[in-house]
Amino acid sequence: MPEIKEKITTEIKRLLDEGLVDVVIGFKKEESPLRPQPAFFRKVDDLADLEYNGLCQNNLANYLTRYPPETRIGIVVRGCENRSVNALIVEHQHPRENLFLIGVPCQGIIDIKKIIAEVGEEISEFNEDGDEVILVAQGKTHTFKRHELLHDSCLRCVHPNPVSADVVIGEPLPEGDPEAIRETVEGFEALSKEERYAWFKEESERCIRCYACREACPMCYCTECFVDNATPRWTESDISPAGTQAWHLIRAFHQTGRCTSCGACERACPMDIKMTYLTDKLNKDMYDNFEFVAGMECETQPPFASFNLDDKKRFVV
Amino acid sequence: MNYIIEKKQLEKVLKAWSADYEVYAPQKAKQFSAFLPLGSSDLALDEPHNTRYPPKSLFLPQTEVLLRYNSRLNRLEDVEFNPKQRILFGIHPCDAQAAALLDTVFDTDEDNDPYWSNRRRGTLLIGLGCAEPPQTCFCTTVGGGPFNAKGLDALMTELEDAYFVEVFSEEAEKLFADLPKATKEQQNLVQKVQKSAVAKMAPAFETEGLKQKLDDNFDSEFWAEISESCLGCGVCTFLCPTCFCFDIVDEVQRSERVRNWDTCMFRTYSLEASGHNPRPSRKERTRQRLMHKYSYWLDHVNEIGCTGCGRCVRYCPVGLDIRAMLRAANALEMEPANA
Repeated sequence: MPEIKEKITTEIKRLLDEGLVDVVIGFKKEESPLRPQPAFFRKVDDLADLEYNGLCQNNLANYLTRYPPETRIGIVVRGCENRSVNALIVEHQHPRENLFLIGVPCQGIIDIKKIIAEVGEEISEFNEDGDEVILVAQGKTHTFKRHELLHDSCLRCVHPNPVSADVVIGEPLPEGDPEAIRETVEGFEALSKEERYAWFKEESERCIRCYACREACPMCYCTECFVDNATPRWTESDISPAGTQAWHLIRAFHQTGRCTSCGACERACPMDIKMTYLTDKLNKDMYDNFEFVAGMECETQPPFASFNLDDKKRFVV
Repeated sequence: MNYIIEKKQLEKVLKAWSADYEVYAPQKAKQFSAFLPLGSSDLALDEPHNTRYPPKSLFLPQTEVLLRYNSRLNRLEDVEFNPKQRILFGIHPCDAQAAALLDTVFDTDEDNDPYWSNRRRGTLLIGLGCAEPPQTCFCTTVGGGPFNAKGLDALMTELEDAYFVEVFSEEAEKLFADLPKATKEQQNLVQKVQKSAVAKMAPAFETEGLKQKLDDNFDSEFWAEISESCLGCGVCTFLCPTCFCFDIVDEVQRSERVRNWDTCMFRTYSLEASGHNPRPSRKERTRQRLMHKYSYWLDHVNEIGCTGCGRCVRYCPVGLDIRAMLRAANALEMEPANA
């Protein structure tokens, strides 16, 4: 991992030195090794703080929509982030020519919550060595296999490699097994209607409506979200079951054909709510019905956003 | 007076209290602990830090019906208050201090919020001090401490197989009267535990002169820099034990007027009916969050409106750390006033 970090630093330095970009979005070190933070590099001097490791939790594509189209943005992208960037380009959120994608094949994001469950949160050191993750917690060293700590979304990841990066740092990794995510969704589909509803209720009703899931999601960029709309009001305002269920359902449906299964929503949730099973199910439907996977390139509109007079079906749902 | 609760007696003691009180204690709910009515799940007193969801919700629920309208009879109906006396058992000193701070908002001589004070006045806070404060905590920096008594009716210090209880209120004294008294040796031991906990906590930032720094730099670009990665979600403020902002909404279809937690981190919080937003970006909203706690609270009651509980540090989805923000603020050059 340190050599990848070094190469990313060199590449960003080149982009800044040559004046090819106005800002580069990556990660920087914070005091606690557990929590690297999204960072915005404009000067070469700031690169001393750059971080890149399995603990970088966020989907950096999230920040693209904050800039006007003329801003030339460099961005460090892993597989899912690259696909999110593509999905945003498709939706005209930033022109491709003003983006420079520094791609990194991704070994998966480590779930802080899994670390804390195993060894607590008093972590003083974090290191990765190939397939191993080495942690020092309260003076004691713990070694884990990476997959033991990976976030659930990353365990099911199909496309870990950047799909359209301008430069790729590190060797491409083997593609993930598409069956892993399919099996998870099918497991949910196999439950009875009552069981599925019970599951949904239990997860959604824990919600405190802080909207961390929305804010962490690159595709949730609406200036005015439906829950913030006062006239008309689409959902109940409070944490009543009706309010929280409506939020989780509609949030998921708005992602149809747009979600890249990065799992940033779940990682941001302060109440540990599982929600990717909903978007993963919609992604599966998109693939089964339309052979569409969000973000694989930056030309094709998602099925629900496109309209075609020659459509063979009379009505598409 | 100081008492002892043997750990093996604890359940019996709590059960006995349940006859006259609704007892709430941190219990394991799913992956993390929360203040729940006794018997909901296993007690979780040994967690290294606070419950994730703050106990302020027991005084200021996240959603609360303020009034109900009976449209058939065309009249308002009373909303029931919880009349039963409650005990919050095992609340940490930072959360108790937060409740005391919020009394200065909701329960003063001039202004009294009946919803808050009905719950608050009928509730005893039995605290549990923190012998091993986690890295994310910083109570000693903001005028509190891992064994601070403020806001508490009693404070427990964990010993090997018992809890040592210091009692501060008459009402709480009644709860413990039948329990064995603590010995001098136990008291000495407790003093050591408490001192060593305080010693473990290094100051996280300088508070002297901080308010002035923040006030002077109100228009600084600093706020844009520190808020650049902020997502604008409500994690820090909703989980904060001292954040108390709310919004009142008429849920017309249910004929109810409800009060919901709101947060200055949301765009809609300061959005005016005209469409104008005086805090149009995350920069202004982050500034508001920090200024409220570290400047405006001081203006109002001369106390910092943060108790160092560490929740905002632990649960920020992008790893923003209020301590680092305030250290950065301290490092700012003074800007010439109104230049």
